[in-house]
Amino acid sequence: MAENILVIGGGPAGLNAAVMLSELGVNVALVERDSFLGGNPKKFKYKFLFPDMQPADNVIGELIKKAEAGGSIKVYYSSEVSDFKENGKKFDVTLKSADGSETKTFDSVIVATGFEHFDPARDAKYSYQLFDDVIDIKDLERMMGENNFVRPSNGKPPKKVAFILCVGSRDRHVGNQYCSRVCCTVSVKQAIEMREHFPDCEAYIFYMDIRTYGFFEDLYWQAMEEHDVQIVKGRIAEITSGPDNTVICKGEDTLLRGPFEIPFDMVVLASGMEGGPQSPEMSSKLGIELDEHGFLKPENITLSPFKSSKAGIFLAGACTGPKAISDSITEGAAAAMNAYTYAVKNR
Amino acid sequence: MALEKREQRPVAEKGEHIIARHLIEDENIKEEKNLVIDGVDVSGRWNTFVLSRVNSEFDRSFFQEIKKTVVGSRINRCWQCGMCTASCTVTPLYRRFNPRAFIYMMQLGNLKELKKYIDVAWRCVGCYKCSQRCPKQVNPAEMMEALALVVKKYFPEEIATKLKLDEEVKKIYEDMIIGHGRLDLAKLHTSAMQKSGRIKELLGKIERDAILKMAKDGRAFSILRLGKPHNWGKSKEAIEKYLKNINTIENSGTGGLNG
Repeated sequence: MAENILVIGGGPAGLNAAVMLSELGVNVALVERDSFLGGNPKKFKYKFLFPDMQPADNVIGELIKKAEAGGSIKVYYSSEVSDFKENGKKFDVTLKSADGSETKTFDSVIVATGFEHFDPARDAKYSYQLFDDVIDIKDLERMMGENNFVRPSNGKPPKKVAFILCVGSRDRHVGNQYCSRVCCTVSVKQAIEMREHFPDCEAYIFYMDIRTYGFFEDLYWQAMEEHDVQIVKGRIAEITSGPDNTVICKGEDTLLRGPFEIPFDMVVLASGMEGGPQSPEMSSKLGIELDEHGFLKPENITLSPFKSSKAGIFLAGACTGPKAISDSITEGAAAAMNAYTYAVKNR
Repeated sequence: MALEKREQRPVAEKGEHIIARHLIEDENIKEEKNLVIDGVDVSGRWNTFVLSRVNSEFDRSFFQEIKKTVVGSRINRCWQCGMCTASCTVTPLYRRFNPRAFIYMMQLGNLKELKKYIDVAWRCVGCYKCSQRCPKQVNPAEMMEALALVVKKYFPEEIATKLKLDEEVKKIYEDMIIGHGRLDLAKLHTSAMQKSGRIKELLGKIERDAILKMAKDGRAFSILRLGKPHNWGKSKEAIEKYLKNINTIENSGTGGLNG
């Protein structure tokens, strides 16, 4: 008899976990709250992925194709876990959708509920949603995905664009002390794309530290050395409207020690990643621990980052913390292996 | 008790009445000593204005101009780690000489800030320690050459006043090289001191003793016996050509650095 494993979340991590398990012949139930698979990359129409600028469809599209190909994966679209009970070493789970609910017994569970983009409107100093020309990285990613990169206020191409890093990250004021890991690289990537398509448009990045870790550093070097992206050290404290339909970034140049107020055509906020409402929801429904940052807490962050605090429930992807897509996919495979081992042991 | 009566009303220093005067830079205070508007005397403190020190422009045209030069072509690489300043030979002597900051000012076209450092911007001695250490291979030593060229182009007035002595000494140096084919440090030193009106300092006891000693053992006259370097004609021609070329660049208008 084949094992039954539940995967919650159809983003990169959940998709890869489901695909790996189905290749092992496991019956997988893949629960997705949206009406489509692919998670945030699909939802916000990511166009190119760092570090090698390959089309997002190469990665996400490929995974979706495999998951939807049938086999032993059953996808529950627009569904959620409404009831969760432990049954010995197994789990009785009720899956609810608009069509009705269904209760099944699973040998193990993989939670891959992912993250939410920080909503910059929560931090009033950035004037997001107040000015049309202040957007964030997910908005820009969507604009680029739709080949519609213009100033939202007047539909014209911008001449001077500012990228502001650490929006909603590394800031006690908004409650997020952690670094979101990918926003530096995403911003640098977007600045390169922008300079490639619009060589006339100047790009400035306001930073406190540029954390393009590992080989992502190549993109950062490329942005400066090949695309003349200018980095300016200092966080922006205020965004106001300026003359000629511009937005003014007010900050301190911490290298020369002096205030600046520079008008820009467009400002892109590198909003970070958050556990979102789904993480505490999973925590309370499944009875697993939440960490102080609002993400799900692994049993041992170094030894077993893919195990939750409860035996039989495994974690994958950005639900345990900010992560790049490649890391999420890796963790999906790791969680699949562990969930399968657990299921086989307790057959 | 003796009363002292002043003949004239004392002239106030610029911005003297501002309580936190020491916090404001000189050039940010605008004040006319004598000003009468519609018959009303508004001299001195009555017309004081304090200008904002907020930087409100990033001027990339300056960056582009530097980037086009041979010596400044790598300006886009600098990420401001400060390795150049940390390794600099000059910075410990002139705290205001900071290659890192100069590169940053050039990147953002902050000429207003750069102007404050005209007197020290030239002090690179060309030891190339910075270029050896720079993790991004910006070549800061040559960037300082680009800086010197650009400063000369954009601030001719300041060069003529603040760097008058430097220019004169440079002339002496050039004449010496072209005229004799050799550098006579003693002569260069003496001429420089003479130009700056410090000739008396050369006649202290130590100096007098040294001159006497050198005259006695013949070293003082050895320079006269030395002829010009071998094949000097060709070298002289090349140096003259180079100097002429440099002068052309320095005195040209916009775009002159492109050569």
